[in-house]
Amino acid sequence: MATERGEIEDFGHVSRTVGTVFRYLLLAATLFGIVALTVLLIYVANDAIQPLTADPGWHLTFLLTLVLPTLGVGAYLSRTDPASLRFGGAVVGTLAVSTMFAGGVAMLFVDIVEPITWFAYVLALCLALAGVVGIERFDRRLPFLVRFVAAGAVVLLSVLFVPGLVTSLPVYPSDGVLLTLSVGTPIALAAGSYAAVADGRRRRLAAVGVALAVIGLGAFVGPLVGVTPVPATVVLAVAVVPTGSYAVGHVRRYPERRAGLGFAAVILGGTVVGAVAVETLGFAGPQSWVDWGFLTSAHSGTAADAGLYPAIGGSILLMATVAALSFPLGVGAAVYLEEYAPDNRLTRFIDVNISNLAGVPSVVYGLLGLGVFVTYLGQPTGTVLIGGATLALLILPIVIISAREALRSVPDSMRQASYGMGATRWQTIKNVVLPRAFPGILTGTILALGRAIGETAPLIMIGAPNVLFSLPTELSSKVSAMPLQVYAWASLFASEPFYQAAVPAGVVVLLVVLLSMNSIAIVLRNKYQSDR
Amino acid sequence: MTDNPNQEYAADESTDDPTTDDMSIQTDVSESVAASGPTMSGDSVVRAENVDVWYNDDQALQDISLEIPENQVTAMIGPSGCGKSTFLRCINRMNDMIDAARVEGDLYLRGKNVYDDDVDPVALRRRVGMVFQSPNPFPKSIYDNVAYGLKIQNKDGDYDEIVEDSLKRAALWDEVKDQLGTSGLDLSGGQQQRLCIARAIAPDPEVILMDEPASALDPVATSKIEDLISELAQEYTVVIVTHNMQQAARISNKTAVFLTGGELVEFDDTEKIFENPESQRVEDYITGKFG
Repeated sequence: MATERGEIEDFGHVSRTVGTVFRYLLLAATLFGIVALTVLLIYVANDAIQPLTADPGWHLTFLLTLVLPTLGVGAYLSRTDPASLRFGGAVVGTLAVSTMFAGGVAMLFVDIVEPITWFAYVLALCLALAGVVGIERFDRRLPFLVRFVAAGAVVLLSVLFVPGLVTSLPVYPSDGVLLTLSVGTPIALAAGSYAAVADGRRRRLAAVGVALAVIGLGAFVGPLVGVTPVPATVVLAVAVVPTGSYAVGHVRRYPERRAGLGFAAVILGGTVVGAVAVETLGFAGPQSWVDWGFLTSAHSGTAADAGLYPAIGGSILLMATVAALSFPLGVGAAVYLEEYAPDNRLTRFIDVNISNLAGVPSVVYGLLGLGVFVTYLGQPTGTVLIGGATLALLILPIVIISAREALRSVPDSMRQASYGMGATRWQTIKNVVLPRAFPGILTGTILALGRAIGETAPLIMIGAPNVLFSLPTELSSKVSAMPLQVYAWASLFASEPFYQAAVPAGVVVLLVVLLSMNSIAIVLRNKYQSDR
Repeated sequence: MTDNPNQEYAADESTDDPTTDDMSIQTDVSESVAASGPTMSGDSVVRAENVDVWYNDDQALQDISLEIPENQVTAMIGPSGCGKSTFLRCINRMNDMIDAARVEGDLYLRGKNVYDDDVDPVALRRRVGMVFQSPNPFPKSIYDNVAYGLKIQNKDGDYDEIVEDSLKRAALWDEVKDQLGTSGLDLSGGQQQRLCIARAIAPDPEVILMDEPASALDPVATSKIEDLISELAQEYTVVIVTHNMQQAARISNKTAVFLTGGELVEFDDTEKIFENPESQRVEDYITGKFG
């Protein structure tokens, strides 16, 4: 039915009114949650930090030194060079997150583990590892069982005897030196190699040496600026050196992103200049409840003196225990279910039930922990170990599910290639599947840990004390946690000052920790997806 | 364009002086073969006798019998779904991975039935290399990709030397010798496939199976792979599945034509298949009247 004239005067009009209304309703639904959450967060943050109590001059100073330069440079870079902007942001973010992490590690060495004990165990593990590698290298044709027994004996001997031997030495180096060796060496090795890019062996060694020297200097320079050797060494090792190595290594790999360093310098420099300026000009900062005192002191009867320190330490110890328990169990189960398990009724039954377990309310897990660990196994209530074990059970299904997801995303062609080369299933899993799935597994585990760090109900169920005045020092000591402390302030000490000061401050600290954990997971996931 | 790779080979051969090394590896292999099983008389490396394959109740291959000669390129052609890839995967028992697949009949590698109970499929695959349809290098460095087979098979020898030699034989050395530490995934598609070929030949297998190795590549990369296959046939037995008839005609010595239903309709010298096939169906297929 071709028209004679070959042209159409009017196509008519198709109504889209309903579709448009539908579209904006969906947009409203999307925004509703985000807006509600943002309002809540701003409200809590306002209560906790109280930015309006600051001198207007303080705001003005930081606006001029930090906010405006950052916005200006950021806007310029986002138009001309977005890759550099992302890189600069990543440097600042790495520094912020790693400094927080360093705070946790420093807490560990100041109040929980003596550096010498830590050093002794690290030394024992290194000796054990060296022994195992030596046995493997010695003769690969020895039967597996012989090598296994010999390696086991070496590990057992060194772990049993070396720590005792080292700690009983009459004289040993200072804490700073010990931490430089035990914590700094592996970090310096990794950081130096990353910064050296593809340079030769000699320059790589030099880079590692420089990194180690910077960490070692902490013990001597720290006291000059008022920081004791242990935190100074830890901050250098965990925050400054890795960030520096990331910045140097990245710029050497992608020289065109140099401008990102300028962006980072603007932010960091602006912060320093602003801080110095308000100090000299005498502008008072905000009357924030989240301050150094809040982070480093224990609970107190008066809201203004109350702090979160034992709860932060407890949360860190709990997370370490949870990670140590749930990671091997969860990844092990996931690898079995994905790579080995035959497709039969039993595995399908397990499949369905893992999904169900992920949805079981946390208070039920608390009851399980109480029943199994306390009543049945006769453990004391509320300790780090059973708290960690209960939370590990809680997140185990999530870890399994996310690890299986990561394993499933390894393309089958990789497995085929490996099998085609004559690899056994174990070799394929070890060499191809796990390395490829590892970032995904790690992401899932971190997100699951983020769930565990906010859990309150299971800890209450297993009898963790609401308020603790000192850090737990070992697995069998009583533990409190950040959400539990906040809950205690909101319920047991419910009074106006606590509502106004301690509760919002605790919530903000908890959220900052949680969000930085999630941001690590997101960065890992993005990197993983771009590597595909 | 095709001149370019040839020049590379010429350059490779001049630099690749110690050919005696290759010879010694070759003799090692034949000794180990002689020790491990009765060697067939004649030139055939792979011999199939009445091989049937089922996927659940669907028969994918019907009564296949053929002999694949040593140090030649044997091509398998046919329309999609005719079972040519299935047959290829029978040779190194990759079909074992598929639960639904069932293989009947006898398939001999150097006189040993690979479907005997005492044959370990993993050990079998160490003697039969495989290159897949789309390039699938591991997300590891180029060096680690090539050395993968050596490492998992715990082979003796200087890995650096073997990696270099394999990359040279795969006509990739000149392009990657300065970046052995970078990821194999950073290479172009054609380079990735040559990397996969280098990976397959590094442990020095007796047979190399190639499952449409050039079907995901552009014409230039395809011609490089084809030149490479002809080159490899001087030292290896190559079995290649392809749906590209011109490719089979260019590079193979023998051609097997599979047609729908999983039957082997004709198996003969490539020239004869393409110029004067016995079967009318094969002629129709080759001239494009069918399939």
